[in-house]
Amino acid sequence: MTTYIIRRILWGIVLIILVSALTFLFFNVFPSADPAVLRAGRNGSPQTIAYIRHELGLDRPVYVQFWNYMKGIFLHFNFGYSFYSGASVLDLIKDRLPATISLTVGAAIFWLLMGIPIGILSAVKRGGFLDRTAMGGALVFVSMPTFWLGLIVLFLFADDIGQWHVFPGANSYVGLTVSPVDWFTSLILPWFVLAATSAAIYSRVLRGSLIETMGEDYIRTARAKGLKENRVVWRHGVRSAITPVVTIFGLDVGALLGGAVITETVFDIPGIGRLNYDAIIHSDFPIVQGTVILAALFIVVANIIVDIAYAYLDPRVRY
Amino acid sequence: MRGSRSAIAAAITGLLAVGLTACGGSSSSSKSSASGGSSTTSGVQSIPLKPGENPSGQSLTGGKKGGTLTELSNGDFEHLDPGSAYYALDYQVVQATDRPLFSYPPNSASTIRPDLATAIPTTANGGITDGGKTVTVHITPGIHYSPPVNREVTAQDVAFALERGANPNVGNAYWPAYFGSASPAPLEGSTASSYKGGPLKGIQTPNKTTIVFHMTKPGAATLISALSLPLSSPLPPEFVGPLDKHAPTTYGTNYLVAVGPYMIQADKSGKVSGVGYNPGKNETLVRNPNWNAKLDWRPAYLNEIKVNVGGDSTVIGQQVLKGSDQVQLDTVAQAVVKQAYQQYPAQITFTPGSGMHYLTLDTQHGVFKNVNIRRAVYAALDRAAIVKARGGALVAEPGTHFIYPGSIGYAQAGGAAGPSVAWNTNVNGNVAEAHKLMVAAGYHSGKYTGNDQTQVVYGQGGNGPAIAQIVANAMTEIGLHPKVSGVDQSTMYSKYCGVPKQEIDSCPTAGWIRDFADPLSILLPTFYGPAIVPTNNSNWSQQNDPAINSAMEKAAAIQNPAAHAQAWANVDKMLVNDAVAVPEDFDNQPNIESKDVAGVNMLWNEGTWDLAFTSLKNP
Amino acid sequence: MSVGASELLTEPDAAFESAEIVPGEIAARSPRQLFWRRFRADRVAMASAIFIILLILMAVFAPEIVKLLGLPGPNVQDPNATDAFGSPLGPSAGHPFGVDALGRDVASRVIYGARVSLIVGIVGTAIATMIGVVFGLLAGFYRGWVDTGISRIVEVFLAFPVLVLGLGIGAACGVRGCAGGLIQPGMGTVIFIIAIASFTYIARIARGQVLSLREKEFVEAARSLGASNRRILFKELLPNLLAPLIVYSSLLIPTNILLEAALSYLGVGIRPPTASWGQMISDASNYLSPPAAWWYMVFPGVALLLTVLAFNLLGDGLLDALNPRGDSR
Repeated sequence: MTTYIIRRILWGIVLIILVSALTFLFFNVFPSADPAVLRAGRNGSPQTIAYIRHELGLDRPVYVQFWNYMKGIFLHFNFGYSFYSGASVLDLIKDRLPATISLTVGAAIFWLLMGIPIGILSAVKRGGFLDRTAMGGALVFVSMPTFWLGLIVLFLFADDIGQWHVFPGANSYVGLTVSPVDWFTSLILPWFVLAATSAAIYSRVLRGSLIETMGEDYIRTARAKGLKENRVVWRHGVRSAITPVVTIFGLDVGALLGGAVITETVFDIPGIGRLNYDAIIHSDFPIVQGTVILAALFIVVANIIVDIAYAYLDPRVRY
Repeated sequence: MRGSRSAIAAAITGLLAVGLTACGGSSSSSKSSASGGSSTTSGVQSIPLKPGENPSGQSLTGGKKGGTLTELSNGDFEHLDPGSAYYALDYQVVQATDRPLFSYPPNSASTIRPDLATAIPTTANGGITDGGKTVTVHITPGIHYSPPVNREVTAQDVAFALERGANPNVGNAYWPAYFGSASPAPLEGSTASSYKGGPLKGIQTPNKTTIVFHMTKPGAATLISALSLPLSSPLPPEFVGPLDKHAPTTYGTNYLVAVGPYMIQADKSGKVSGVGYNPGKNETLVRNPNWNAKLDWRPAYLNEIKVNVGGDSTVIGQQVLKGSDQVQLDTVAQAVVKQAYQQYPAQITFTPGSGMHYLTLDTQHGVFKNVNIRRAVYAALDRAAIVKARGGALVAEPGTHFIYPGSIGYAQAGGAAGPSVAWNTNVNGNVAEAHKLMVAAGYHSGKYTGNDQTQVVYGQGGNGPAIAQIVANAMTEIGLHPKVSGVDQSTMYSKYCGVPKQEIDSCPTAGWIRDFADPLSILLPTFYGPAIVPTNNSNWSQQNDPAINSAMEKAAAIQNPAAHAQAWANVDKMLVNDAVAVPEDFDNQPNIESKDVAGVNMLWNEGTWDLAFTSLKNP
Repeated sequence: MSVGASELLTEPDAAFESAEIVPGEIAARSPRQLFWRRFRADRVAMASAIFIILLILMAVFAPEIVKLLGLPGPNVQDPNATDAFGSPLGPSAGHPFGVDALGRDVASRVIYGARVSLIVGIVGTAIATMIGVVFGLLAGFYRGWVDTGISRIVEVFLAFPVLVLGLGIGAACGVRGCAGGLIQPGMGTVIFIIAIASFTYIARIARGQVLSLREKEFVEAARSLGASNRRILFKELLPNLLAPLIVYSSLLIPTNILLEAALSYLGVGIRPPTASWGQMISDASNYLSPPAAWWYMVFPGVALLLTVLAFNLLGDGLLDALNPRGDSR
């Protein structure tokens, strides 16, 4: 098991470097703007632009630039500086990360709390009214775009522009340390939107998986042994049925941490996703590189954790 | 001006034009909907201004001292170094922290007044001599820099500040056009290609309070206007000089000193980055402890100003309208303008004459080399629709020539209606006239028959896409094949429209605000051949007609104000005649404030809030 | 039909259970026929299939339908349909769904917008499926280092940010196109991005299917008859993949339609003035402050919702017909 984890970690590092190299190459093949011109601003003279290009190392070949960039990261943990404002990329990321983490963790808790019970109940009471309405509702939520649900929710319930002034609207996010109450209320609508669409997926998957599991032989054996139905469902059924949910959950959280651009855009939350998006629009390559590496890192870590959890939950899996 | 017969003809063709452009082939177009949108035959539906919404009558005195004003903005400043500040938002800060030789008071767009200087130089007081080639300015003694410099300001500081405009590390965008090699009356020594800052023959300082400017040709009137730009605000060479050695300079990004009533909050060494200047996040202005109220004409009521950057414009608008002690710094979103006008009329102002937009046409390459095709696009463009796309009659009126309202020469250039050439008379677009012009261009069918695509590159913010579509419509009417592409607004300028080599056929969201009241600052950087530069070019149409160029040079040399204005008005007429670009709209900038802010708008600067005159009602 | 078709059903017992005895005629129904029978019996799935067919017809005949309904074209700008402030006006006699900021009819644009969603969703999924099948087939069949190599490549694609790709191409190739004008932002690029983003899903499924199929007897039989690898891949394995692939790709279509909408919302997608539901919703978000232009946001969103819902129900129906579990519906 440990050798497997070490191998995965090593491959994860290689993966992150590969993704970073691809992004680097991509922006060299498809430059959306000349960073030196952007840095020089609207008033740059040709001499200033040439000087800045040299200062930023942009006049050297691509692989040399990439090598220097990697050296900077591995040796000094320096992710470079924004072309636009000169601020350190690492600082910018550290500044924005709490918002994305708040959004992701809160939403994940919500959708697990919503999705799992509904999935289990629907599976247990299969075919009944509860099952049909729950799955029907889940299907509707799965079929709507998150940004649309977000806009509708703002249109109805935002306290500044909504029909009913219930929850804080877009652009009301404050840090947890600044004001816990405001932090919490500002995230209620975004959490709901993320959770509503995701919970539906989890309910459906868990329901399907649980139904299949409950048809297995060992469940019949457990019942025959006289175990209480609750125990059968939870201890034996859910435990193995939950594995596909764990897989999706890990991947979802990993992807979301890398930047929930859509939700952050709709609700104006200053997170990593928005940072990434703005940086691409402004051709601020160091920030783009930094956020891409961060996103890849989250996905790799999530994958490894999911694999370990899988091994723990499903006794058939052994590495 | 126009006779009644042509007015009727215009109205009829206007109706036809509305019908043609709106239909596009299908049958149901002229069914107008019930509420609000009554059909317009010609021109734009007018919306009456409510009391207080025109800031021209604003009061400059009687404010209460104290309090903190919060400014919310979606966009941030670009440069706070007065040597490179070139943007309406930048000017707001510079006007509160620096003191150029001359300034515009907030309630005037065209009448300059002395700021650091003691008086406006004239021939009568001996300020203008040598047939308009020499200008002498005296500065007010006893003015001190903020900490850590603290010392008194001298004339040498003003000279240093102006000379660094030629330093490539400072990156000043207007030095060549107004003081250097592209100017019709450059300062002596500034045209040498080796000049990159440092002592200049054309700027002499015989003593601590006197500056003498020598130009190679007469140009006193324009020079005095140009000295209202932030570049003439004094800077201490011992403090700024070493910083200017970096490329780009770190003065403005890391360090700043002030002479005005306010300063960017700094630490003991004058460092502002991380203290009062956090680009992309926030900025803080505090009182300058060394400012002497008796030597300044500004009241400076507020104690502190906080700027918070970021967030959606619509949301910012909500916060300002419903909140307290707040204003919006940058452009108000269209939906918010409507809401403010309808629900918070006392909290919104519309500043007339705050700039204009035009559709640039590349006169040197491609399909628009042909003057009649340019005129055809001009005729076909529905400028009234563009006004609507920008937010309606409150925020814009159709553009009809290039010297926009509030500028010297506006009336002489034709006022609201502009020159009465055939392609200019109908602001709804006159497709019949456009077809006639295409025939004159050599296309007998009245439509373009070639296969080339016409590049249309627009900036993506706000109503950019809508305006690009209106322009594309006009081009399609005359048979062109527009290829519409949207990019980020600053990329549009820096990579495409502002780079002559890119040969972009047309840019529909180009805009211009004059740098000072003289029409030279509206027409020279934008339409003067020698002002074309390889990057960050502002002459987007790449206009380089020798007749127009020399007309501009002659107009700039005229010293008599009335003749000066008339000469520039004639240049304007030549530009309209040549259709070097199509004026789209004259802007009235909306500005919003919270209910307890007694805001004062700078009429000469897009109506941005004048921080040195604004006060709180309950500080 | 190939011998291995019976392997379509993972639970062969179920197939026998639902074989009916018809008096006077005893004919075993093929699994394919059983599949269709089950599908036809599923009323919800049938309804969504009909809805989708109608949607496709609506997209194909959009110009005629718009004319029939008496609506103006999707790109006709009507300056009289916006109010004096340039804000869009709501539903009225001439514009049942209201107008957008340029005075263009929303109903008309919703109808034309179906083209974009359907083309991108279906073609993008088709391409993703083709790429995914190739990857999955090779990985599952050859196993060993081929499998490892391909899985690694797939992981790189999974970790690569699709948004960066889309926005980057949009920004860089926006005006003049890249690679000598070959790469232009627009429909083609969006389809490409969607294919890249979703082929991994198909690759994983194909690989899993191949891994289990290759152990079956018919493969061994073919091999013992001397069939080459290539023949086995194309003649034996691929046909048996067809049914599950169709089912899983039809489940992928709604995801890709939503992905296209998201990309359009972020501004990466189809170029104006072409109507796209995601872009309409994105535009509408500028008009949310009261009085909000709700029609501009609601109608395209409902269209998206119904379309994606229909595809989801169809995919569910196909999946259930393929793998019946005795659920009552």
